[in-house]
Amino acid sequence: MGWKETAEPVLTRMPSVARPEGHVPFKRKLAWTAGVLVLYFFLTNVYLYGLGTAGGDIFGRFRSILAGGQGTILQLGIGPIVTASIVLQLLGGADLLGLDTQNNPRDQVLYQGLQKLLVVVMCILTGLPMVFAGGFLPPSPAVAQGLGIGLMGVKMLLFAQIFAGGILILYMDEVISKWGVGSGVGLFIVAGVSQRLIGGFFALPGIGSEQVGFFPSWILIAIGEQPIGSLFGAGLQQVLMSPQFGLIRLVTTIFIFVVVVYAESVRVEIPLSNARVKGARGRFPVKLIYASVLPMILVRALQANLQFLGRILQAQLGNGMPAWLGVYDANGQATGGFFYYISPIQTPADWIPQLAGSAASAELWQIALRVSVDLTFMVVGGAIFAVFWVETTDMGPEATAQQIHGSGMQIPGFRQNPGVIEKVLERYIPQVTVIGGALVGLLAVMANMLGTIGGVGGTGLLLTVSITYKLYEEIAEEQLMEMHPMMRQMFG
Amino acid sequence: MSSNDGGGLMSSAGLVRYFDAEDKNAIRIDPKTVVAFGAFFGVLVQILNLIL
Repeated sequence: MGWKETAEPVLTRMPSVARPEGHVPFKRKLAWTAGVLVLYFFLTNVYLYGLGTAGGDIFGRFRSILAGGQGTILQLGIGPIVTASIVLQLLGGADLLGLDTQNNPRDQVLYQGLQKLLVVVMCILTGLPMVFAGGFLPPSPAVAQGLGIGLMGVKMLLFAQIFAGGILILYMDEVISKWGVGSGVGLFIVAGVSQRLIGGFFALPGIGSEQVGFFPSWILIAIGEQPIGSLFGAGLQQVLMSPQFGLIRLVTTIFIFVVVVYAESVRVEIPLSNARVKGARGRFPVKLIYASVLPMILVRALQANLQFLGRILQAQLGNGMPAWLGVYDANGQATGGFFYYISPIQTPADWIPQLAGSAASAELWQIALRVSVDLTFMVVGGAIFAVFWVETTDMGPEATAQQIHGSGMQIPGFRQNPGVIEKVLERYIPQVTVIGGALVGLLAVMANMLGTIGGVGGTGLLLTVSITYKLYEEIAEEQLMEMHPMMRQMFG
Repeated sequence: MSSNDGGGLMSSAGLVRYFDAEDKNAIRIDPKTVVAFGAFFGVLVQILNLIL
């Protein structure tokens, strides 16, 4: 009994959002969710006070899954939450925590506290280098002079703001989890990705957007305003692969939607019957993407953090950085060395030299190596994190068996014993988890290689579709309970 | 289904997990406080930006 007793006084006192007493009507839940969402969008538009000319986005293309906005109060987005979750998953997966979150309320309180403490630590750990190393958030000399606190003082101010933003995201998530529908983190991801999707589809020319959307582009092509080459020459490549109106991007986007919705319904169903009430039957579904797509964000965040580390190193070492470690171009993109090979494929131009144009400098074998590293990382990482996820969130065979047993159900034809249920579940859950995790990883890489509308990326799209699907299920259940108050007692 | 299984079957919903169990010592924040602080903070920074 070591760390638990030592850390208890701190962990149990972490401030938390009060729970609603009794039932919250569905309309109120929606109101809380909408309110927090509006606040989120507002905050992503408030730029940091004291920020000079904006540097490049440190998250780069990871931004779409890490939410938030470059140079705004929500600079950190859900980054700290995700990184903290990675640490928790690894600790939990290796069984180093020793917390029984299923049965022991004390351990549940400790887990909650630890979770929150880790997020705060990660806010500091990711916030500090962003402001103080690398110049990703350059302080404004004008503000420094105006306030008379020097550049260092302005940096402190910047850090204080993004730190407050990071903590705010944490509590906004908690408000939604306890008072609203779904989870805040999920909602912020969906919000960010949807915004980009809409932009990618419909952005009109002349409203200040960087790129004309998919549909307006095709209208322009149809009326001859947007010139494309001959369909038998360069035009074909444009029609298929253009970042703006490439048809392949549309196909990939729709394909991912369809696959996720289909995969949500692929399941192994284990029949259950009630031990006491004859005729009361049920099924326990082991879904193909059992661990859902959420662990995928952990793998991507790991990659993002590695890239982050690379850019910090590059900013610190400058030209002293050895070439085997990383070579960077003017835009802060890795073009060689270790950090190039571990950077994930984000767009078709990353692996088709013809699309990259003059920027292409990588040899074919280098690209092949990078693609295979990314693929391995995502497939193996997806499977590993899915397994850890199942373990730490009490979705594993043992925990599920206890839940099924606790609800008075049994598998017909087997003894009524949690151990027996566990044995049966062990035949399905681990295998399904690994296959599901690897499959989702493969899909994410594939979608990135082919490109998606609005450049949201495969992971962002997968997350959005599956989170929205879950949200829909939850809302349906919520409405069922509204209409039949008796149901509330059954579902709790 | 008993209500004390902490939403175990649905725990895949969020990255951060919240349980029903709570410590007596914990500081509780009203959700309105969170939203109000967020809005206030945003407006404050926005105003500071406008002044300079």
